[in-house]
Amino acid sequence: MSTDVRTESLDPVDLTIVNNALLNICREMGVTMMRTAFSPIFNEGLDFSCVLFDRHGNMIGQAEFCPAQLAASLFIVRWTVDELGVDSFEPGDVVLYNDPYRGGAHIPEHSVIRPVFYGEELFGFVANVGHLAEIGGKAVGSFAADATEVFQEGLRIPPVKIVKRDENDMELWQLIMANHRTPRNTWGDLNAQIGSLRVAERSLIRLLDRYGRDFIERAAGQLLDYSERWMRSEIAAIPDGSYEFGQAMEDDGVLAEPVWFHVTVTVDGDGLVVDWTGTDLQVRGPINATYGVTAGAVYNAIFHVTEQNIPKNSGAYRPISIIAPPGSAVNVSYPGPSVGGNTETHPKLADMVVSALAPALPDRVSAAEGGSACNFLFGGFHPKTGEYYANYHLEGGGWGAKSYGDGNDAVIVKNGNCRNTPVEIFETCYPLRVLEYSLMHDSGGSGMHRGGLGTRRHFLVTQGAEVTVNALLDRTKEGFGAWGLEGGGPGGRAAILVKRQGESEFRTFSEAFGSVSASKFTNIVLWSGDEVIIESPGGGGYGDPLMRDRALVEEDVFEGFVSAQAAREVYGWGSPEDG
Amino acid sequence: MGEWETIRRDVWETVVTPCTCCGQVVARRLWRTEVEGEALRFCGPDCEELYRTYVLPRRARLESGGR
Repeated sequence: MSTDVRTESLDPVDLTIVNNALLNICREMGVTMMRTAFSPIFNEGLDFSCVLFDRHGNMIGQAEFCPAQLAASLFIVRWTVDELGVDSFEPGDVVLYNDPYRGGAHIPEHSVIRPVFYGEELFGFVANVGHLAEIGGKAVGSFAADATEVFQEGLRIPPVKIVKRDENDMELWQLIMANHRTPRNTWGDLNAQIGSLRVAERSLIRLLDRYGRDFIERAAGQLLDYSERWMRSEIAAIPDGSYEFGQAMEDDGVLAEPVWFHVTVTVDGDGLVVDWTGTDLQVRGPINATYGVTAGAVYNAIFHVTEQNIPKNSGAYRPISIIAPPGSAVNVSYPGPSVGGNTETHPKLADMVVSALAPALPDRVSAAEGGSACNFLFGGFHPKTGEYYANYHLEGGGWGAKSYGDGNDAVIVKNGNCRNTPVEIFETCYPLRVLEYSLMHDSGGSGMHRGGLGTRRHFLVTQGAEVTVNALLDRTKEGFGAWGLEGGGPGGRAAILVKRQGESEFRTFSEAFGSVSASKFTNIVLWSGDEVIIESPGGGGYGDPLMRDRALVEEDVFEGFVSAQAAREVYGWGSPEDG
Repeated sequence: MGEWETIRRDVWETVVTPCTCCGQVVARRLWRTEVEGEALRFCGPDCEELYRTYVLPRRARLESGGR
């Protein structure tokens, strides 16, 4: 009896080798990108993601990049190929786009997609999604916290070929760069993205040469099915039922009113539906999430509560259905703004899904994280070089305590997986000096397991500089901190404060400049001698703080993570049983 | 029984079409069908199935005061 070699199951060792090879091609793309990009947001912050797809639009490889971008790339590549038509791709083409209504997470994120041909035949696609630090629009850094429509957020690009058969379309390049404030960086950063695609194409062809196209396609297909089976078995272990959760964000940057979100997670056998019906209609300000953001948050959450070793390819996503009503705050419709949806809304949506599942998976969930990237964007003419600069600065916050341990301190929001820019790089590139960068005591939510700590960063505008700043934070108001679970307390709040030269006290930007929101504002000019403090939010706690191990409370006090007063008042430290 | 319909857009139409059920963008082909007398557009037959087996029953439960 003959065996159909195309359907014969491959050896697990072979599958592991192919999976790791695909993973490593993505990592190689990442190293290329990190080393060749112009902007700190890429070579320090790592705000980009590299992925591989087969010709049917299935993601077959990804690595440890930004969860939001990885998930969005599922839609970005498939929809782009659908829209342009698979036959429109030729060897050496690169498609560029950043349209938030076509799967993107938000408008600064630019995707480049290149087909990979093996011989004459299309094998698949390689893609790189990266957050360009400046793409025009009403605010420097293209993070207009008070935007009311997409046109204020930067230049929107539908899927277009920026490279045709390995030749740059220079007229298109010029059109794009004419609309960005830092075109030299656009040139360098986009070329770094495109260069990473060429590296991936070369490595993928080498892999096909080594193992043969048929073998790699069979392995990739079987890895998809393997991931799907594994994810289905994980979901099947969750008790069937509908689990709900509701939460609010403090405002949208335009109106000083909370925005409500609601999720219902229905587990039915080995599949689940995550339904956002009941969420507020889309709001005027830019905290609306795109479909890509909402889907990414759902996948992010499910990956957090399931086995971490499931190969992350399209198969792992198949058992999860998502309903995000168009025109709501979880699926913005044109021309609604959405630049803050990725950094501020995504982490809350992900935490909501996790918290909804808390009754079903008490041992796997964590309390809410700080959930604000504390986006701080600034730019101007550098007094030393005379060149216009723009920077997108992120802060890490505290993550939520887990059922089995404390939350992580000073980690970027869970959609990002980005790094902090080192102080030395920051001060070298920009006319700001960092006076303090520290963990904030008492910012972690109290609990048997403590929430992670937020940070405080204190800047000074240096001699001769004029800096235009924008900010988009959340969780600055009382009652909107990261929520705890099982009796854990909320995380500490975020803040952004300013002290003008000659003043003695820090104030909110609303108090100093009259912005509607104290946490979301645009185009405020600071001068040399002015100072800014950014405090990132802490994570929520888990469990009753009186149940916390006394040795850990003492250690927290000794390390300065918890004040002696909070230790006494919240954790009952110093009681007779502490000796 | 539904049928596929190719989306045709004029050059000035820069807005994409979402699926009635899940909200995803439908880039090129819509799955057009009729559900309970209403003409609806989905991203594919799977979403029509989700609409029939999840959305409609849930909507009915909510309208009757259930959860």
